[in-house]
Amino acid sequence: MTYQKPIPLKNIDNAPYWDAADHHELKLQKCSDCSNYNHPPGPGCAKCGSTNLTWENFGGDVEGKVYSYIISYRPFLPGFQNDIPLVIAQVELDNVKDVRIIANIIDCEAKEVEIGKTVKMVWEDITDDRALPQWKIIE
Amino acid sequence: MSKITDRYAIVGVGESERSKNSGVTPLHLALDAAKAAISDAGLAAKDIDGFMSYNENDSCTSHQLATNLGVRPKYVKDILGGGSSTELLIADAISLIESGELNTVLIFRSMNGRSGSRMGGGGWDSNMLQQNIDGGSYIIPYGAASPGQWFGLFATRHMYETGITQEHLGHVCVSFYEYAQRNPKAFFHGKPLTIDDYLNTPHLSYPFTKHDFCLESDEANAIIVTTAERARDCKQKPVYVMGMSSRQCHPHSHYWSDLSQVASDYVAPEVYRSAGVKPEDIDVASIYDCFSWVVLRQLEAFGFAPRGEVGDFVAEGNLRIDGKLPTNTAGGMLSEGYTHGMNNVLEIVRQLRHQYGATDRQVNNCEIGISTGWAGPDIAGAMILRN
Repeated sequence: MTYQKPIPLKNIDNAPYWDAADHHELKLQKCSDCSNYNHPPGPGCAKCGSTNLTWENFGGDVEGKVYSYIISYRPFLPGFQNDIPLVIAQVELDNVKDVRIIANIIDCEAKEVEIGKTVKMVWEDITDDRALPQWKIIE
Repeated sequence: MSKITDRYAIVGVGESERSKNSGVTPLHLALDAAKAAISDAGLAAKDIDGFMSYNENDSCTSHQLATNLGVRPKYVKDILGGGSSTELLIADAISLIESGELNTVLIFRSMNGRSGSRMGGGGWDSNMLQQNIDGGSYIIPYGAASPGQWFGLFATRHMYETGITQEHLGHVCVSFYEYAQRNPKAFFHGKPLTIDDYLNTPHLSYPFTKHDFCLESDEANAIIVTTAERARDCKQKPVYVMGMSSRQCHPHSHYWSDLSQVASDYVAPEVYRSAGVKPEDIDVASIYDCFSWVVLRQLEAFGFAPRGEVGDFVAEGNLRIDGKLPTNTAGGMLSEGYTHGMNNVLEIVRQLRHQYGATDRQVNNCEIGISTGWAGPDIAGAMILRN
């Protein structure tokens, strides 16, 4: 059965992030002038306005702590009807404290989710050539 | 104080019928609201030379409204926007009057928010949402497509940091529903809510239950703004604009990138400076209430209770008519109706006019009121009014 949920659309600003995700790696945009990370990525740094931006590869070993979350008991988009309750969490990366990435926490009961829980990034192969970063509780 | 303090006034307010299925177009609703506001002010349609509206591609234009009032307007302006657009357009109207371009401006919001284009009603194309929302590819593939989910991320974190509980959210809902019982035109008139009912309601999207979400309604609202000088010739007691901070922003257009701050944090000091008053001077409030938690976060931002004490502030009944800050006294968007905030502005104008007289709807002796707008954590505005 084909994947029913929305697939991340690549564009001029986010393509390096999603290309890396397809290879099960995390890449983040970084400002060469002020050294801040820029997530979500864009043509200019949200901290200083510089356009001198590069990409840093964090590989496939990424952990973080749940910073906030919600649990939806009805689908707000088509394709999520079998994912209820749906946990959507924002996770603060252990390596880069000021970057927080939103994804679902998969394979978990709603009652397991708490702020501060340690999670790791896993990649779901959603089509032949696309993969979606997700979070999984590891403690 | 700013240079506009007390020099401009809201002189007319009006609304169409409120329903779940108007059976007419937004133009018809807008006409009803505009005529009601013009009549309320004691003006004729031709006295209005500027028409403005905000919409989400779900309404009629200002030019259409003027045309159907038989007026050739000197100036029209239709902006895309939701919450805080009322405050923004009032500021724009004042600027245009101040510059000598215009004399009197009518601002409206008209929508079939239930039977027509529904904000949270789904039916949106997922790829369209990804492309149109900043950073859309980072949320839409995860099923996060509703303001209830986006604001919920802010709420869960804020509740964790400040000790706000589910019961505190419930007290916001219960306080507003209580007002709706006194307002025969409120959707939830005759549908009271107790804190026990609230706590027994399942989550729709944690931390929110259905009671924490605003309503959807078909309705139009209109407001007329002019100079203090012209206001003295109008039919109603003028409600003067003391100060404004019409539009401030979060540091990132993808506001989910920082859950620790909201645009209202920037609006608050500016609106008090502009009006020359402090939070303790405010007698009545209209706090944007698309979600119950949004009220709590704004009470903190606007200094009505210190961070960490906002939950107790609402649990003590301070939003009720006999509390320290009677708020959303027609029931708000949680229980009266929903026009992206304008219905709350109509109500605070009526309160400051003392239009409810000796009835149980009137906040006694109120002189100064605040109206806050919230498009989201990203964009906010506010104004302070007096009678």
